[in-house]
Amino acid sequence: MIPMRMSASAAPHEDPSVIDFLVTPFSEFEFMRRALVGVIAIALGGGPVGVFLMLRRMSLTGDAMAHAILPGAAIGYLLAGLSLPAMTFGGLAAGVVVAMAAGLVSRFTALKEDASLAAFYLLSLALGVTIVSLRGSNVDLLHVLFGTVLALDDSTLLLLAAISTLTVLALALLYRPLVLECVDPIFLRSVSRAGTPTHLIFLGLVVMNLVGGFHALGTLLAVGMMMLPAAASRFWTSDITMMMIVSVVIGIASGIAGLLLSFHVELPAGPAIILSAGAVYVASLLVGREGGLLWLAWPGKHLEA
Amino acid sequence: MPARSTAIRFEEVTLGYGRRPAVHHLDGAIPSGSLMAVVGPNGAGKSTLLKGIVGTLTPLEGHIRLDGPSSEIAYLPQAAEIDRSFPLSVYDLVAMGLWSRSGLFGGISAKDRARIEDALAAVGLVGFERRPISTLSGGQMQRALFARLLLQDAPVILLDEPFTAIDAKTTADLLDLVRRWHAESRTVVAVLHDLDMVRRVFPKTLLIAREPVAWGETPEVLSAENLLKARRMVEAYDPHAHVCQRGAA
Amino acid sequence: MATRRTVLSWLASVLALAGALMPAAAQAPEKLKVVATFSILGDLVRQVGGERVEVTTLVGPNGDAHVYSPTPADGRRLMEARIVFTNGLKFEGWIDRLVTSSGTKALTVEAAKGVEGLDAREADHAHGRGHDHGHGSLDPHAWQYVMNVRVYVQNIRDALVAADPDGRDVYEANAAAYDAKLAALDREIRDLVNAIPAERRKIITSHEAFRYFEIYGIRFIAPQGTSTDAEASAKDVAIIIRQIKREQVPAVFIENVSDPRLMDRISKESGAKIGAKVYSDALSEPNGPAGTYIDMMRHNIRAFSAALSR
Repeated sequence: MIPMRMSASAAPHEDPSVIDFLVTPFSEFEFMRRALVGVIAIALGGGPVGVFLMLRRMSLTGDAMAHAILPGAAIGYLLAGLSLPAMTFGGLAAGVVVAMAAGLVSRFTALKEDASLAAFYLLSLALGVTIVSLRGSNVDLLHVLFGTVLALDDSTLLLLAAISTLTVLALALLYRPLVLECVDPIFLRSVSRAGTPTHLIFLGLVVMNLVGGFHALGTLLAVGMMMLPAAASRFWTSDITMMMIVSVVIGIASGIAGLLLSFHVELPAGPAIILSAGAVYVASLLVGREGGLLWLAWPGKHLEA
Repeated sequence: MPARSTAIRFEEVTLGYGRRPAVHHLDGAIPSGSLMAVVGPNGAGKSTLLKGIVGTLTPLEGHIRLDGPSSEIAYLPQAAEIDRSFPLSVYDLVAMGLWSRSGLFGGISAKDRARIEDALAAVGLVGFERRPISTLSGGQMQRALFARLLLQDAPVILLDEPFTAIDAKTTADLLDLVRRWHAESRTVVAVLHDLDMVRRVFPKTLLIAREPVAWGETPEVLSAENLLKARRMVEAYDPHAHVCQRGAA
Repeated sequence: MATRRTVLSWLASVLALAGALMPAAAQAPEKLKVVATFSILGDLVRQVGGERVEVTTLVGPNGDAHVYSPTPADGRRLMEARIVFTNGLKFEGWIDRLVTSSGTKALTVEAAKGVEGLDAREADHAHGRGHDHGHGSLDPHAWQYVMNVRVYVQNIRDALVAADPDGRDVYEANAAAYDAKLAALDREIRDLVNAIPAERRKIITSHEAFRYFEIYGIRFIAPQGTSTDAEASAKDVAIIIRQIKREQVPAVFIENVSDPRLMDRISKESGAKIGAKVYSDALSEPNGPAGTYIDMMRHNIRAFSAALSR
């Protein structure tokens, strides 16, 4: 006899307590805890990188690099299947090659960064699509390339943690050259030869965060967690260090909110997280202390001096 | 400042872009400790000259020799390509001057902090420390950049049109700094347009119009005859220019 | 040197040879042309018909007979056939229309006639696949119980004998031999199921076709929450993990969750094993793991058994 309860939608019995609403999903399910750790790692690395991308007027670079990475990861998958090292290495290699090529071309020729990057990432993407379709295109391949935050295994978590640690360390070390490169590149060049390597290392950090991000979470999530918190943080502070901190906080908060939304309202996890980050962005745009629309429209009485 | 005889030496230098010379057949030396102005018509190659000294531009022919490492040159480019919208404070902008000494990865000591304060005071920007650079006027920005130059503490200072579109008070204050540098036996080379200022403040001048017209004591260099000669220089590229025959074979 | 005369004599000999061969060709017996609606049925018909029949299958290996749209070529095949074998039990919602529109004179035979049908269950699965069989009627997947297939075989044999009396002996011999194999298969399945501890005879699967297999003692439960969407939500994942833990289900056979890594995570967290691919509505390619009916059933039970035992 088949139990009749099969026909009812077996939603989890919801305890009205707020704590239960917020905490139980994580305490009861391991996959939720893992997702949370993954999101925190992504936010930790992606936030500061996103801040610098934004300040260097390279916001769309993230998206371009995400496309440049795809072919490398696809090739890795074709050669070795669903293996973390193969796809990560492939993605990194493709991303690094494109980033270096674009960076060097923009440095030594008249072509500026945006055009040289556009040229190279399109080349990379076309190459990747060609290779994949020669091997027999598989729509599921793309599905597979885009991970899901709900399926983080041990090695992926380790990868994410390693990437975010490396990123934080590198940014701390390269802080001054990075800032100088944005503000006064001529001065930097006259004072030190660290300019070009700094730029290339920075692009490498971008690639690394994107590769870790998309492999675990999908392209949408990886780029989104990089750019949205950073853009939102601009409306709350003018100090670079504060911006980085705020972007990390926003990233983590969006992650938690998104996961809870996915759990209670049945939205797909990745997009839910990005939607949360987007909501924070819109809110910051409207009411952020530093140049939010509300403050621009009604600035209040002017000060004495 | 350890005494050197020659700060910068030019050996049949040609600087340009592609095959078109902006400056050619420049030969001579700038003695250490001089206060020299570089003047000439538009497009005469003045900025190009400074870029060649700093090393941003490699000579098409000839050599530029420096007595000492190139990091001992402090360079203020024309209307500096600084991204004003970048969220940086005046303090941080000025503090960059230290990095040419302490490198990009060192910390800031208490002594460094004192020097930054002194520099700000010298340019009249006390109280501006926390201001974002986006809020500075042209004159204030130039003051901040001069403060940075002060901190670089370099034996050779190159200024490319430092007073263009700057108010008179700021100009006067910053000229005082230039004089102070000269008194400290630093070599200062400045590209300028204002000939009266040059006559007043700068003992040496190089009048250049793609090639050196006159070089030496200011009063002689800025004679009417020399100025006329310089004005006759053709500004535009000559589409029929032949390969230049002069100079060492 | 080729003269006209040489060419002519060559031509004559070739023609003579052809003439000699033709009568011989004309004397080979024509095969009985039949059509089976889908691959499982096609295999059964072949087993009984042997060399005397030529079977054309409409829905081939790995095909989905529930949502099949017949083509004009299928109509032509029907025209050429003398018998059309269908499963019956309203499995092929499209066959009646096709038979009518093709204008075929073929006899339609319901292989499942006489089978004791089970009610279609109100299972908790998504009806995303547009079944043509209505619910509240019988579940058509009767072939999942081997004893039913013995009835299928008898129906097929009788139909073939009626259409081709000359082959009676062949058909009866084939059917008997195959029936013995089916009996052995049935015993094999029962033995394997009995080897599984009783409390572990539960499987979660999104396949809707194993209702009849439950007669052997394994309970098939529909998964809650999982969707075939590209991205699962946390709620989906949570629901199925809870279900597996609550019901203590040892194995999960789901193929439409697009990300194998997600399946892996569900498996790790719930303790359920992920099962291999099983075949419910169609055979695999001929040289695949389920190329014939018997291979298919054997493959499936072994997959179930492997997943459920420990």
